[in-house]
Amino acid sequence: MASASASASARARPASAAPILDTRQDDESPISQLTRHWINERHAPDILPAQEDLLASLLDHIRRQSDAVQLLRGEPSASEEEHIRIMLVQMEVERVKFIVRSYVRTRLFKIEKFARFIMTDATIQTRITTAERAHASRHAHLTDRHFHTSVLQSLPETQSHLDDTPIFMPPMITKPDDSRAVFVHALRDCPPIRFHEDLTLEMKRGHISLMPFSFIEQLLVRGDVELL
Amino acid sequence: MSTETRQFGDLATQLIMESRRSTQTDTLLKYNDSLVRLLIREQRDLERAAEALEAGMDELQGPPPALLIIQTAVSRNKRCLLAYHSHRIDRLRDLYWDVGGALPHILNNQGFRSKFSPHEVDYLRQYNSSLMEFRSEFSHELDITASITNPPKDLHVLVHVVKDCGVIQTELGSINFQKGQRFMVRRADIEHLIIQGYLEEVS
Repeated sequence: MASASASASARARPASAAPILDTRQDDESPISQLTRHWINERHAPDILPAQEDLLASLLDHIRRQSDAVQLLRGEPSASEEEHIRIMLVQMEVERVKFIVRSYVRTRLFKIEKFARFIMTDATIQTRITTAERAHASRHAHLTDRHFHTSVLQSLPETQSHLDDTPIFMPPMITKPDDSRAVFVHALRDCPPIRFHEDLTLEMKRGHISLMPFSFIEQLLVRGDVELL
Repeated sequence: MSTETRQFGDLATQLIMESRRSTQTDTLLKYNDSLVRLLIREQRDLERAAEALEAGMDELQGPPPALLIIQTAVSRNKRCLLAYHSHRIDRLRDLYWDVGGALPHILNNQGFRSKFSPHEVDYLRQYNSSLMEFRSEFSHELDITASITNPPKDLHVLVHVVKDCGVIQTELGSINFQKGQRFMVRRADIEHLIIQGYLEEVS
């Protein structure tokens, strides 16, 4: 968050000066971490691991800032300069909320799209939050029920299932397409990526490349690369 | 059997064409109940034809080629039926998000309502309640159904009231928005009303 917001929060609670900013990792502030996760999530064909702690701490921060703003706005002795500062903080809070919202919604979109797959796949379930999993389960049921009442129940018994696998047809369950190409940007020097027998690529820091998502998924989870 | 000549899969193609038109024009078309019914009837006829063929099947010769054709037609039709419905519920969800999750706003709008099948109305209701449950996971500070198309640029916005929308809680206390009035309000408080067409931004 901008320095203006940090100073206002310090002003509101002198006892715990700049509480959130201390927990930064890799000298990256929580908000720039979230921005990175948000952009990654928007570009990745698959659902990336949930950032529950980061999100919780940011939401906490937003709440405290909003409370502080409420308090300060009522202060009759506040100077003109302080009012401008309060406005900046409010603006910043709105912008952070926007990113959080967009991040949550991007995940939600994918979760609804892959709801049936999520319910059958244990690994993808480890990457989503409990609330997201519950929503996926509700959504898969809801879609099934809708198909059943509008189409399947009227068909003859032999045709009324959702899981048939006729030959030459793509499967009925929508899966994330890991082979989709993505632009990757190496944040630090990466271990070599093996495409096949004799083709490997070693990305140095700052390297930008276009390749299938599946090859860089691990690097992305570890934070060695980001998507563009 | 119908009098006009029809090939296997013609009806299903028509249905898919509707979905395509809907995508290309970016509108939700009226639910084509009669076409869906026709297709379901065709499926039953095909099923009966297949049963008849199976009953007369000669063990030594294996399944007759006609059976293969029928089965292909059956699975293609079914796939098209499901694709049509799946495409529609995707559009319904888009519609739902476009108005910021204000379900009554969609359901009370006759223009929309006449395009839905009864099952689709149920679908929207259940989708809404599932989403409300998900939303309640977040603190009330953050409304995840608010707009994500444009990042906020200003804290406050000057709005013009297009339709009466009653008393709304805002940062400045409750305001009674009546048609024709103008207010300077905090964007986050009234954004949903702009999306639903009650207020208009004055630029």
